[in-house]
Amino acid sequence: MRQVRAIAINTFKETIRDRVLAVIVIFALVMIVGGLWLGSISLGEQGRMMKDFGLATVTGFGLIVAVFIAAGLVHKEVEKRTIFVIFSKPVSRSAFIAGKFLGLCGTMAVVLAGMGLFLFALVGILDGHVSGMVLLAVLMVYVQLLAIMAVTIFFSTLGSAILASVLGICVFIAGQLSQNVLSLTRLGKNPLTEALSWVIYTIVPNLSAVDVKAGVVGEQTLAWGQIGLWTVYLLAYVVVVLALAALVFRRKEF
Amino acid sequence: MAQNGQGTGSGAATGAQSRPAVSVSDLHKTVAVGFLRRKVAILNGVDLVVNQNEVFGLLGPNGAGKTTTVKVALGLMRPSSGSIELGVEGLGRVGYLPENPYFYDYLSGREFLGFCARLFGDDAATQHERVEALLEEVSLVDAADTHLRKYSKGMLQRIGIAQALINDPELVLLDEPMTGLDPVGRVEVKRIIERLHERGKTVLFNSHILSDVHELCSRIAIMCKGRVIWTGSVDEALAEAETLEDFFMQVVQA
Repeated sequence: MRQVRAIAINTFKETIRDRVLAVIVIFALVMIVGGLWLGSISLGEQGRMMKDFGLATVTGFGLIVAVFIAAGLVHKEVEKRTIFVIFSKPVSRSAFIAGKFLGLCGTMAVVLAGMGLFLFALVGILDGHVSGMVLLAVLMVYVQLLAIMAVTIFFSTLGSAILASVLGICVFIAGQLSQNVLSLTRLGKNPLTEALSWVIYTIVPNLSAVDVKAGVVGEQTLAWGQIGLWTVYLLAYVVVVLALAALVFRRKEF
Repeated sequence: MAQNGQGTGSGAATGAQSRPAVSVSDLHKTVAVGFLRRKVAILNGVDLVVNQNEVFGLLGPNGAGKTTTVKVALGLMRPSSGSIELGVEGLGRVGYLPENPYFYDYLSGREFLGFCARLFGDDAATQHERVEALLEEVSLVDAADTHLRKYSKGMLQRIGIAQALINDPELVLLDEPMTGLDPVGRVEVKRIIERLHERGKTVLFNSHILSDVHELCSRIAIMCKGRVIWTGSVDEALAEAETLEDFFMQVVQA
């Protein structure tokens, strides 16, 4: 456990100090401010537009950070051979994977908290009252990205970092759509497409189930009990995927 | 500690003293390369014994299998057949410096050593004491809070040696420890190796700098094409040729 903690802290320090991260976050903040302009041309829906655009920006940039850092996390250690230093000490491969993931969770939390609080303040100024829903939506984005980070780490143990990033983004998109696609194919009554979409729905994390953006902008009422259950499912999904990553990593030679 | 089934595993602590520090027997390693997974033999039956408390030099041309032998000893690679056994209790008693080490860009030297100490589960006080003593030993106290990406090659080599010694190991494996060092750095590393020897540690190092090997080692082994082709004391080698370099050329060319 101490080793996992040491690796997590090390990963957090290493990733949070990366200048590329700062550039991405600054760019995201500029984009969020850009939402003000979009709001100004939206005929009286400025607050709603800000929330909508802001949350999409937080998700998009969060995804970029999650996928690109997660893909490089393990890969960089192998490529730059820091892995030799770690595994020549009594550190298990599972502890390494767990530590890397937890460290990235810390970095991601800081990144999303920064963007989320900025958006929260901006929406508060626009609406004239504060709305905790924005922060809650960002929290649910965090839960979604945890699953994507785990999946990307898993892919990075199998192949190259670029491939892992691309696959990570693909899983994110599939995770947003899988539930709707399954419902649609059920209407079509074609057993083959239904079976196929069921397989995809089962394998990829169901991210849309914890997406509360529509609720935040007032398009939907939210069923919190269900969202809570799906959150537990996503966390379990993370554990399973990380266990698989550790299993693959155990067989690796350096 | 043994790699592969033929090793007998670790014995009692008392037995550890009488066992060789490293014992390699008929070690083979084959790797699959390229798209067609063509098999290439890297080690073709390495036999080697390094005694406790000796400074042992592993010599050989590039691609002879020196680094691979060390990697198998550390469990970074699995042997295809044969065995390698370390006369210490687990990796907790081993220190390793990889060739051309690269460490985490955004950590300072002090943070990096602290991280390495935590991987061994040391408590905070022991960690602090070890880190400061080692920074002193490798003359990096002034640069301790500088990020590693600003370190010169020689400084990286020295911090690499420091991390290899963080657990006060009984067996120290150094891969090309003098490479990239200026004359002052080389003298410092030589003094460190001498001090380790005085403290009863076993040092096994790979090097191409034969004058350093002559100065430091009591025994040497020469590897070529995945085999040990000569083992003996430096004096024995010098009885057959004027310099170690001449002897090395004779053996390798034969």
